[in-house]
Amino acid sequence: MKIELRRLTKTWGETTAVAGVDLDIDDGEFVAFLGPSGCGKTTTLMMIAGIYQPTSGEILFDGEVVNDLAPRDRGVGMVFQSYALYPHMTVAENISYSLKLRGVDKVTRRRRAQEIADLMGIGHLLDRKPAELSGGQQQRVAVGRALVKEPRVLLFDEPLSNLDARLRLTMRSEIKRMQTELGITSIYVTHDQVEATTMADRIAVMRGGRLEAYADPDELYRRPQTLFVAGFVGNPPMNIVDAQVVGLNGGFVAQTLGIEIPLPDDRSRPVVGRRSVKMGIRPEHILVGSGPFAGEVVLVEPLGREDLVDIDVGSGTLRALADRSLGIRPRDRVSFEINSAEVQFFDPETERSLLWG
Amino acid sequence: MATVAEDSPTRRRRRRLAAVGFLTPAMVLVVAFYLIPAVLTLILSLTDLSSANFTEPWNFIGLDNYRRLFGDAFFPKILKNTLFYVFVTLGLFNVGLALVLALLTTSIPRRAGFFFRMLWLLPRITPSVVYVMMWVRMAQQPPFGIFNQLAGPFGLEPENWLFETPWLFVILTNGFVGASFGMIIFTSALESIPRDVITAARVDGASGWRLIRDMKIPLIKWPLLFVATYQTMSLLTSFEYILLLTEGGPGLFTTEVWALTSYKRALGTYFGNNQWGYGAAWGFVLVVIGFLFSLLYVKIFRFNQLVKEPLIE
Amino acid sequence: MIGTAGIGRRRISRGPRIGYAILGVSVVPILVGYAWLLIASFSRRTRGLIPTTIDGRAGGWTLDNWSFVSDGSVYRATLNSTLMALGMVVGVGIVSTLGGYAISRIRFPGRKGVLSMTLLLNAFRADMLLIAIFFVLRALGATPLVGRFIGFDTVGGVALVMVSLELPLGLWLMKGFFDNVSWDMERAALIDGASRFRAWWEIVLPQVMPGLAALSVFTFISGWNAYLIPFTYTVGTGVSNLPVFLDELIGETSPTNWNQVAAVGLFQLIPILGFYLLMQEKLLNIYSGGTKGGT
Repeated sequence: MKIELRRLTKTWGETTAVAGVDLDIDDGEFVAFLGPSGCGKTTTLMMIAGIYQPTSGEILFDGEVVNDLAPRDRGVGMVFQSYALYPHMTVAENISYSLKLRGVDKVTRRRRAQEIADLMGIGHLLDRKPAELSGGQQQRVAVGRALVKEPRVLLFDEPLSNLDARLRLTMRSEIKRMQTELGITSIYVTHDQVEATTMADRIAVMRGGRLEAYADPDELYRRPQTLFVAGFVGNPPMNIVDAQVVGLNGGFVAQTLGIEIPLPDDRSRPVVGRRSVKMGIRPEHILVGSGPFAGEVVLVEPLGREDLVDIDVGSGTLRALADRSLGIRPRDRVSFEINSAEVQFFDPETERSLLWG
Repeated sequence: MATVAEDSPTRRRRRRLAAVGFLTPAMVLVVAFYLIPAVLTLILSLTDLSSANFTEPWNFIGLDNYRRLFGDAFFPKILKNTLFYVFVTLGLFNVGLALVLALLTTSIPRRAGFFFRMLWLLPRITPSVVYVMMWVRMAQQPPFGIFNQLAGPFGLEPENWLFETPWLFVILTNGFVGASFGMIIFTSALESIPRDVITAARVDGASGWRLIRDMKIPLIKWPLLFVATYQTMSLLTSFEYILLLTEGGPGLFTTEVWALTSYKRALGTYFGNNQWGYGAAWGFVLVVIGFLFSLLYVKIFRFNQLVKEPLIE
Repeated sequence: MIGTAGIGRRRISRGPRIGYAILGVSVVPILVGYAWLLIASFSRRTRGLIPTTIDGRAGGWTLDNWSFVSDGSVYRATLNSTLMALGMVVGVGIVSTLGGYAISRIRFPGRKGVLSMTLLLNAFRADMLLIAIFFVLRALGATPLVGRFIGFDTVGGVALVMVSLELPLGLWLMKGFFDNVSWDMERAALIDGASRFRAWWEIVLPQVMPGLAALSVFTFISGWNAYLIPFTYTVGTGVSNLPVFLDELIGETSPTNWNQVAAVGLFQLIPILGFYLLMQEKLLNIYSGGTKGGT
């Protein structure tokens, strides 16, 4: 089912939670709403579900305006962060509640509940109560409950936040796999950009109630349109420094932090001549070990396969990802080079990218 | 496609319908037993209806009852008594002692606290007639009075204490019942203060009285205000215990409070017949006083802050 | 610094002792009172706390005061008390859970007004509007079909008045309990396809059962002990409840036979005491959902 949001706005008295969001979601697409808390992603989700009423703007399902439809008439399935299972009902009853409301008979309800539960790997827990289940199992019941009514769209509100890290990884791939198999249009709200980039076909990045960017993960990573998106997408976060790009010896360099970084022509031309720009360098594009630049290591954070090192280059600090095998320790002096084919430039006032539209 | 206007009529209609459905039983009762009686009381107060003439059509006498009320020789005394009774009992028992009981029973081992609270709930769950009887018995003169019997050996002059100090007993009887309401509410509130907060305060150096004054009391602000408001109304309109204990005496209006006067004028037989109209005037003035007090409390304590918007539209 | 820590420790251990002392003193009147009640119900006369015979000699233990148990006059009143109290529980339960839910969880115009109203209603208590309510009851009694059960001088009528007396508190308390139910759960129910009413009945209401249970217990106790309202609105002896029966008993003999009154009083108290002992935990937690407000 296609979903369209047109100039969607939600205000609570004086506060604006969502300000004029325009968005299209294709049938079967998995879209993530990504952003820090308070950015309006959950409010938007609630409006799509029919729980909140938009202040203005429209929501369309397959071309029809659904603003006036009650949640029960929209064909949505929703998975909540808190699971929101019905504590006084068994797993089977939780899953089949929507069928009961539609008047489906007991036998069919049980059968369908069993089918869905088996699909979610909890078929043996049908007669337990939610309190007797682990977090992961409760999560699966919540997903099963959303699926049983064969919804037109699946809505997820940070469903994995309450799970421990290990379980989160497992559930992530399971949800993704299931969505791909079933082909149901899905919207997934999260503040975790790793979740968003690994699961979503496209990511809607929101901030302060507005849509900052809407593109596939790769696009957001390699061609971020704003400073915010650049800093938000990608782990560990991008280094942002003040720089000036000047011509030198027939080529271009970026002057920053007391060093001069040679730049490829295509990155430099849109930026040269400006008094000062914001420059973004991802830690993974700073190659530690050898190179024309040097600095002293201030902090080493082991990440397993790599180390996240803070390098003091004299007039500032850069964070870089270094291979574990280098055995870097604080107070070491290291050399590094910068892969400048991937640097980003932003206007210091508008925070918009100077490289991409 | 045109932009849909804010909060479409369908949604609003649906919501209003739902709310009406849920509130109907309550509203019916409110109208039948609060609004209509209030209006009726006002109307009644403008007549001279009594048990002598109720079969005849009602005779409207305008504000005569009110003139009589405010001109009554005992009106100032009754008003004074009422204010004295309400605020002294409120401060000493319904809020004061309630708070003390709650604080004490939560600072001793759980079972012990339970035991004391259970004892303190007894007055409330005892039938009023029996309860008052116990107090009368305690205050009686020898050889029957318990208090005299127990305190006699200590050289106490035996008296009928109810006769000697009627106000003391009026306040005690009502207070012992009233305190348990606040005690329960404050106890729950105190017990739901997160342990960590108290621990942090202890680490900061607060203990004993400081802990109570700076931490516990401010943290149960809302229950405190609620109890104060609710109990003020309770005390203002209650007279059952006073009726049973002293009937407003001894003598002339010593312990008479407004609510009792209203009741007696209307349904007592002190003046030959039941003067419903006149009693209604007393009753209506009390209702107005109570209403104004409530309004004052709600405004001052800003109870509207307690209202959180529902999160489903 | 170490010194002050030591002082703190000492004070804490003294605290409970002072607490016990104050509490102990405070319950003395209560204990004395009930001790008397017990003693008096089993003796002919009492002088202070000492049971005596009619002419004042110590002793005088008797079971005569309890004769009403076997002679049956009290059972009609007991039945009426039970009916009134149960009627109240059902009435208050229904009205408060419906109304409290709406106030707590439905957005509707005038919501804040309704909430303030429940607080303001306390000023209009029935005790003040007794005569007017008499007229209302008479009118109700005249309605076809149900009039027989809810008019003046009926158990139903009294129950109705008492239900409305409990309304402000009932609504306020249930509102508080409903405030604590998870929004996500109700949203899930709506998305599953429930109407607001169905969601209330099947999903939200089960979550406030403990609160409703506690409210019911307190309502029952109020109903069981009610004196003024039943007294005012019943005339026939067939309709009086226990407290009114007791009152009549007091007036029967002159001078009052206190000991017999004590026995009947105890009779009235025992079921409540039993109920209470069984349900202490629930009772003492009743208001935790109600007035937390900002906490």
